[in-house]
Amino acid sequence: MDLFLHYLRMPYLLDGVGYTLLITVLGLLGGLVMGVVLAAMQLSRFRTLAIMARAYSIIFRGTPLILQMVFCYNALPMIGIKLSAITAAGLALALNEAPFIAEILRSNVIGVDRGQVSAGQALGMTPAAIMRRVIAPQAIRSMVPALGNESVSALKNSSLASVVAVQELTLRSTQLASATFDFFSIFFASGLMYLVLTGAIAVIQIVVEMLLDLDRPPPKEQLARFLRALLPGRGTPAPLAPVTPPDVAAEILDEIATDPLPPPSPRSGPIDRAARARRLAGNNAAVEVKQLRKSYGSQNVLDGIDLTVRAGEIVALLGPSGSGKSTLLRCINRLEGWQDGTIRVGGRFLGSDEDGRPLSPRVTAQMRASVGVGMVFQQFNLFGHLTARENIAGPLRWVQGLSRLDADRRAQELLDRVGLAHRADALPRHLSGGQQQRVAIARAVAPGPAVLLLDEPTSALDPELVGEVLEVIRRLAVEEGLAMIISTHQLRFAGEVADRIVFLAEGTVIEQGPAEQILRAPSHPLTARFLSTMNAE
Amino acid sequence: MSAAAHLRSALFGVMGMAVAAAGMTVALPQTVQAATPAACAALQAKYPSLKGKTLVNAINPHTPGYETIDPSNPTNYIGFDIDLGEAIGDCLGFKITYKAVTFAALLTTLQAGQADIVISDIYATKDRAKAADFITYLKVFDGVLVAKGNPKGITGINMSLCGTVAAENTGYVEVPLIQALEAECKKAGKPAPEILLFDNNANCIQAILAGRADTYINDVNTVDGAVKAYPDKLAKATAVTLPYSVGIAVPRNNVEFRDAVMAALTEIQKTGLQAELMKKWNLPAEQLETPKLVLAD
Repeated sequence: MDLFLHYLRMPYLLDGVGYTLLITVLGLLGGLVMGVVLAAMQLSRFRTLAIMARAYSIIFRGTPLILQMVFCYNALPMIGIKLSAITAAGLALALNEAPFIAEILRSNVIGVDRGQVSAGQALGMTPAAIMRRVIAPQAIRSMVPALGNESVSALKNSSLASVVAVQELTLRSTQLASATFDFFSIFFASGLMYLVLTGAIAVIQIVVEMLLDLDRPPPKEQLARFLRALLPGRGTPAPLAPVTPPDVAAEILDEIATDPLPPPSPRSGPIDRAARARRLAGNNAAVEVKQLRKSYGSQNVLDGIDLTVRAGEIVALLGPSGSGKSTLLRCINRLEGWQDGTIRVGGRFLGSDEDGRPLSPRVTAQMRASVGVGMVFQQFNLFGHLTARENIAGPLRWVQGLSRLDADRRAQELLDRVGLAHRADALPRHLSGGQQQRVAIARAVAPGPAVLLLDEPTSALDPELVGEVLEVIRRLAVEEGLAMIISTHQLRFAGEVADRIVFLAEGTVIEQGPAEQILRAPSHPLTARFLSTMNAE
Repeated sequence: MSAAAHLRSALFGVMGMAVAAAGMTVALPQTVQAATPAACAALQAKYPSLKGKTLVNAINPHTPGYETIDPSNPTNYIGFDIDLGEAIGDCLGFKITYKAVTFAALLTTLQAGQADIVISDIYATKDRAKAADFITYLKVFDGVLVAKGNPKGITGINMSLCGTVAAENTGYVEVPLIQALEAECKKAGKPAPEILLFDNNANCIQAILAGRADTYINDVNTVDGAVKAYPDKLAKATAVTLPYSVGIAVPRNNVEFRDAVMAALTEIQKTGLQAELMKKWNLPAEQLETPKLVLAD
């Protein structure tokens, strides 16, 4: 026991801990930098880059670290690169960690809901902005446990640096054991030292997870509370934030009762449909779809669609599931490509130049923003890590370049209009579906788009929440004067709000015309059958 | 015998070694006389490029008596090889720093240019001479380390090894010699010897203490040291003479450096300094060998 304590305190071994830490840090930082590059290459749309990154991963994940150590130390000098032992070991560890870290990064990036990306694209965010503002903050939160694991493994792997003469803890332990024959005391002592180091990593991981937990107060406040708790004689520390998440169900029930929409504006009286139709007919085309064809493999999804929507016109897309409604909407703002045909939004070809050559995702994103086409999704697709206010204000700052003050003011004003001003600081997951969709609509409208695409905005909602969302859309239709294309199954709503109904089946427009006429007297048997089925439900 | 009893006796052994190590450190402060200043001054004049330099000596510091860390000041290395290297450095006017590597990595480290010289109880064989030039300085005497009482009756690198387990270090010359017995053993209808490969002496000795290996055949002084550390557990069965010498390894392409080291070593032997150092580290005097070169064919 005395010998054990002696070795535990021995400066020689403690210095060895220093080298162990140094190599681990070099390996992890280098691995992180290279891992980011590798992950980016693998996720890139350029195939060559992805193949190169994959080849690197296969080689460096598939060979033992001990060989890589020896390679960096003994083989690199043959081509004139003579690294110090520590640099060589750090480099080998970094080369080895990189593919593992890259896979952690990649899987967590892929793991972020695709809808979040679609929402970012639809808001006109460039790929870089989506990565930085939407994917990274969410992916980083979910990758902390895996990175903690990787750090522990890197720390233990650093012991292999002993083969290239780095004076780290394992090498020093074996040397000491050879010189003294105190085999057991020495290895128990160095084992305990490793445990302390890996334990410290575990503690760091827990703290980081706590700081990144969205259900807790912001990190600054947490740190202040922590310091207050540490300082003696400063009175009782402030009570800690409740760790249990708020009772979401009860809150939602409360909200339904307490967050009615503000009274409608005076303009929302009954309208003269005929006059409105005449006025709209004179407007410019906001969206012009010509002979649009799209197929997945041999299956035609869109089979020669022609559709023109005038500025300010409200079009309801009806049709059975799989008729191509969602795909059409996603093509209009170029979230998806197609094989044949053209689409103009605001007179411009979105995502391609005048000669039809495709533009880069970044330029397409900028075009989306400048043309002004917003989208509301069936699954809401609010950014999960941002509050209701930030979901609206964030894109205004990132895409439209508004100041924080202006963006917040605009967000607050829109939240007021959808009756959710009091929920501005709530995270999406603490909002009901109906509330989330109201925020999502406010977010889509915030930049003042000329065209708003709504993709089955109430299909994912519980029946009792449908009404509030439809009411928000109804008011938008009246108050904003923007062109809207809504795919929906709500016939009554379509009849009240839409100027025109377009009926789609199997990727083609079967029938279109003034809303009341189509609903009352459909001319095509498919339309009639669809309407009667829907009315029967 | 139970595991607990094993552990207990191992711990007693540890204490025994602590006493032995204490004795060794007491013996350390002896001052060692330098080689004739005049002869060394002449060599320094002949090889001026070495003067004032700091050279890297790659060692495998797991061989008590030859090279280990100093338990009382572990950043220092001690042992006969260390003293000899310092003496050569003193004579030629260069300083030495050390790079601790596994035994198998000694010559690759030299080849990679990560070290300038290897003085680490390495046997100069023709095979190894393909990787480095050797200047010999000691004859090789091997000892056969066995468990106390030599239960397997091992008498050397011969048929007595058939069916036994030998612990060896990766890269040691004994490994191919033991492997070569396989055919002979089979011919005699006996099982071949098995070899457990480790990275350092301590692990080989532990293998015998733990009952995993029956013998460890290595430099006789290392074997004696182990027996001294665990007198009630280990014994030296016999000494074996191998047709090798211990050598200093230097890079193959640097004849001038090789000549300088050989000249300095000759000078050190002439003044009796090497004999003095051997006495200090309890190496038998008859082990001393006049420097000769071992080069690749």
